Amino acid sequence: MSTAEERAAPGSNEIALDGVAVELDGRRILEDVTVRLAQHRIAVIGANGSGKSTFARVLDGLVRPTRGTVRVHGLDVARELSRVRAEVGFVFTNPDAQILMPTVAEDVRLSLRGSGLARAEVDARVDAVLRQHGLGDHADAPAYSLSGGQKQLLALASVLVREPRLVIADEPTTLLDLGNARRIGRMLIDDLDAQLVLLTHDLELAERCDVALRFHEGRLVEVGQPADVVRAYRREYA
Amino acid sequence: MIALYLPGRSILHRAPAGVKLLALLALALLISLWPHTGVTIALAGLVVVALYAFALLPPVVLLRQLWLAKWIVVLMVVTQLVFLTPWDALVNTVRVVSIVLLAALLTLTTRSEELLAALETGMRPLARLGADPRRIGLTLSLAISMLPVVAGIAERVRDAQRARGVRLGFRIVVPVLVLALRHADDVADALSARGAD
Repeated sequence: MSTAEERAAPGSNEIALDGVAVELDGRRILEDVTVRLAQHRIAVIGANGSGKSTFARVLDGLVRPTRGTVRVHGLDVARELSRVRAEVGFVFTNPDAQILMPTVAEDVRLSLRGSGLARAEVDARVDAVLRQHGLGDHADAPAYSLSGGQKQLLALASVLVREPRLVIADEPTTLLDLGNARRIGRMLIDDLDAQLVLLTHDLELAERCDVALRFHEGRLVEVGQPADVVRAYRREYA
Repeated sequence: MIALYLPGRSILHRAPAGVKLLALLALALLISLWPHTGVTIALAGLVVVALYAFALLPPVVLLRQLWLAKWIVVLMVVTQLVFLTPWDALVNTVRVVSIVLLAALLTLTTRSEELLAALETGMRPLARLGADPRRIGLTLSLAISMLPVVAGIAERVRDAQRARGVRLGFRIVVPVLVLALRHADDVADALSARGAD
């Protein structure tokens, strides 16, 4: 057994990428990323098209790397995809793409499909998570009738009801107004028990994480203290 | 067009989805195949109204469903008046509207997940032919929830062309389709991320 595998035993908090590259139609989207992360809250910043989203999708197996290996909490993403998916929750920028069922409660229930939980337990969990996210009164409302902020809260509820150990959020506050952005930001940064990978253009939010990664033109150019990484990023556009 | 579940405590709400589905099938067949007289068609209409009352739904719900069916009525009456007597046109229209209202009553009193579970059970024999009932069920409910999304996309494209002062006419189909397909890609990602595949 290699040392890398020993360090990333199942149950650990480590995200480990080794020489990960992604090419699409001959274009390089992500180049040779090697990094080990075990911090609780991980911020990912960088310009549009810098490779942030691809990096996030590689962690969840939504994008398959052309080269290299990805391990999440000791699981090989290429080989143990279903276990990785059970462990990882993904919040997209646009909640419309993520909400899949006609009504609010049904969408949360979809996440527990095939979980083997008894019906009463499913009901209790759905009810609890909706109330936690301020959607208790909207359980039977059509999902499309919610406001943008409520939709993102629902998307988050549908992810968290599965009790993931890692939550990846791809610019979850970009489409929201200030109040809703703050609320979602607080929930992710302050209230989340799971490990967090947060892609964001909100640099204040990034600064509140434990470590920050900066991508530039498909390359991971910096890993370090969020304040330093954000300062370097700001300087680039000064 | 598809009515959304309205929570309630009536017997119709609590009845098993499978039973309701079979009852709808039986009633729809009866209403459409029976050689109607004035009395039986009136009876059919009354039964539908009575069932709405039985579900303890406020009358405005029934009226709203009727209003939603207005284009079906117009289409049926106009086309049939060309070929049939006014009486036959009336009978056939009541037939179709009654069945539409019954189907709406089913979705009004049944959570779509229960309906899907019943459909999945009903489709289980198809598994022997290689079909996956769970997948078919999920596809159906996805289709239901994507209707307002596609409507929203069409709205957006219409607004965009207005704002830019262009008129696409029938060609509006192209950007709507492109956006819908892109949305489908996102939904596919979301399905994978939620472990649904």
